[in-house]
Amino acid sequence: MKPFHDEKFSSIEVVQREFKQAGYICSRQIATTVYLAYHLCKPILVEGPAGVGKTELAKTAAFFLGVPLIRLQCYEGLDESKALYEWKYGKQLLYTQLLRDKLDQIIKGENGLDGSIQKLHEYDDIFFSMDFLEPRPLLKAIQEKKGAVLLIDEVDKSDDEFEAFLLEVLSDFQVSIPELGTIAAVSKPFVFLTSNNTRELSEALKRRCLHLYIPFPDQKLEREIVRTKVPDISERLETQLVAFIHEVRKLDIKKLPSISESIDWARVLMILHVDKLNYDLIHDTLNTFVKFEEDVKLVKEQLRSMAEKALNVTAT
Amino acid sequence: MDRILENFILALRGSGVRVSVAESIDAMHVTDLIGYGDRGILKNALSAALAKTLTEKEIFHMTFDRFFSTDVPFDHAYDIPDAMKGEPDEEIPFVAQMILSGNMAGLAVAMSQAALSVDITGIQFFTQKGLYVRRLMQQMGLDELNDYIRELRANGDDESTRIANMLEEGREDLTDRARKFVERQYDLYAGSATEGMIESYLRNARLTNIEQHHYQQIRVIIRKMVKNLRDLHTRRKKGAKRGQLDFKKTMRSNIAYQGLPFDTRWKMKKIDRPKIMVICDVSRSVSTIVRFFLLILYSLNELIEKIDTFIFCSNLVEASSIFDKYDLEEAVVRLQTGTGLDIWMGRTDYGQSLRDFWEGWSGNLTNKTTVIILGDARSNFGEPEVGILKRMQERSKRIIWLNPETPSLWGSGDSEMKRYLPFCHIARECNTLNHLERAIHALL
Repeated sequence: MKPFHDEKFSSIEVVQREFKQAGYICSRQIATTVYLAYHLCKPILVEGPAGVGKTELAKTAAFFLGVPLIRLQCYEGLDESKALYEWKYGKQLLYTQLLRDKLDQIIKGENGLDGSIQKLHEYDDIFFSMDFLEPRPLLKAIQEKKGAVLLIDEVDKSDDEFEAFLLEVLSDFQVSIPELGTIAAVSKPFVFLTSNNTRELSEALKRRCLHLYIPFPDQKLEREIVRTKVPDISERLETQLVAFIHEVRKLDIKKLPSISESIDWARVLMILHVDKLNYDLIHDTLNTFVKFEEDVKLVKEQLRSMAEKALNVTAT
Repeated sequence: MDRILENFILALRGSGVRVSVAESIDAMHVTDLIGYGDRGILKNALSAALAKTLTEKEIFHMTFDRFFSTDVPFDHAYDIPDAMKGEPDEEIPFVAQMILSGNMAGLAVAMSQAALSVDITGIQFFTQKGLYVRRLMQQMGLDELNDYIRELRANGDDESTRIANMLEEGREDLTDRARKFVERQYDLYAGSATEGMIESYLRNARLTNIEQHHYQQIRVIIRKMVKNLRDLHTRRKKGAKRGQLDFKKTMRSNIAYQGLPFDTRWKMKKIDRPKIMVICDVSRSVSTIVRFFLLILYSLNELIEKIDTFIFCSNLVEASSIFDKYDLEEAVVRLQTGTGLDIWMGRTDYGQSLRDFWEGWSGNLTNKTTVIILGDARSNFGEPEVGILKRMQERSKRIIWLNPETPSLWGSGDSEMKRYLPFCHIARECNTLNHLERAIHALL
């Protein structure tokens, strides 16, 4: 990965600017971490509330670098055979059947058992070669010649065992396949791990990564993000919308609306051809960003005062 | 590694952020890459490399600001007599020269150099502050300065006295600065030692004696403890003989048998987790210690999938839902006061509580269940219902009784502990965190 994209990572400012052009507004913190991760060849562990753009960051990085994005979605019970490689058992069986005659021919000349085995050894490991190997995301990522962005999504959902298994890949960028030996990365991939903090990740994993926490953005940054994603939005609407979302985030509800929800809401309002918010409108479109029945009830209770605050933001 | 970074990492460790060697090497690469030029970038960059959780990030930001703040300012200069200006005199000690010539930057540099040579990062206790101030001053040449002042005083003429006064004033000022400097260093570096000491103190202190303000620390210790225990014990998984056939695994393991499914593998895994029922006394007699019981229960609940919790005073109710619904602080308060539960906080009645348990939940007792009872067994001379405990013992795998009183008090007064004792597999005194840890270890 490293030597191919040096010019794209010449400075933190460049990263920030280029990401913006790719449609991802990142804070200085994010840009710095990405910059460091590239130069130190380290994976980034991204944490933060749902919907603040953790996965999007990896996607944008892949787009920006012009390399494939290889994604590994983690879940409970994910194991090596799904993450790393799998032998093509069917193909192996089929080939042994098909080649039975050929094998006979090979052994024909030899009389003794020893001789036959010797003969077979010359064709050693035919069935355990790369041709019979089905690479899964991790193996695929380290085999990419020009590097790749490897996104290991929601790593906290996987089991402890899988996490331990990741360590080899993340620190040395190599994988061990017993039948073939160790396969080292052709070009080190740019690795993003995301976590929603449903469980504490192990120290060992954290030690190998740079850590990035993406919080909810402040109003200014969020306005910029909304504007980038929904370019047709009027300035007044955008300000009111972001202000209202920030009011909602102050509440103690089950699922706080995240950036993706702000964007969804903005899109909904654009379809409705709205250029400024009002109480009824908020009331009617509430369900685009508050997703639980209890939450909706709670927000509705305080809707008056919150709406007033948010609507007045533009007035001042 | 460069000295500044090394000291910063020391300071971070002091404040409670765990920084491994690998991470400090990363930090070094980071500073190599971006340098010390831009404070904001440096902060972001180091935080990515060193602080790996949200709380650690907060600590990191605080420590960074403290560490890289400007030193105690050396700003004001003295009125220097013209006679002293010009060529520095060889006779006059270096510090005196700097004081008299108002070379504040020089003094600041001298002080940080002195700090390096007395290795101030080793400061651990607040009682060492005085010592370090003295060492610092001595390193800067306090003795020579004193000698020189004495010499001037001996001279006796006006000019000498004036200079001597000025130097004395400068010395006071310098000592003051040195003291402030040491204070700051103490804040930065001493944390780790004290934290370690507090932890070992808290672990062995009687839970009843621990003050409210250590509560947060206890929480952290308990979480750490429970996590360790869990890491030790959750891996006991074994393959089950039922469930879905794991085709791939079966095939792989049967290659040796020509692919005949001889040794079958199944997708089910059986996780050997203990089933635990906890019965906890929340009456006044144990109120000081119950908080910690509840604390540890709460942590266990977060980490172990299945625990049924019951609390009792005059009667017994199930309280598992409280743990799921509320956060720690609130859950503990609710359980202690019985808010929202159908519990009667009158006289403690072990007999009634055991009866309630037997009637309501004895069906859940199996030979895999471990029952933990937390309480002092002081039943206000009511019928202890020892028979029920006996039946519980027959049905369950184990009964563990954790009693906050020392064994010598068991059976005294209204304590029924001696009568319950024969039916407990394990009965332990439990009033420090270490006791608790051992008890839970035995449990898992």
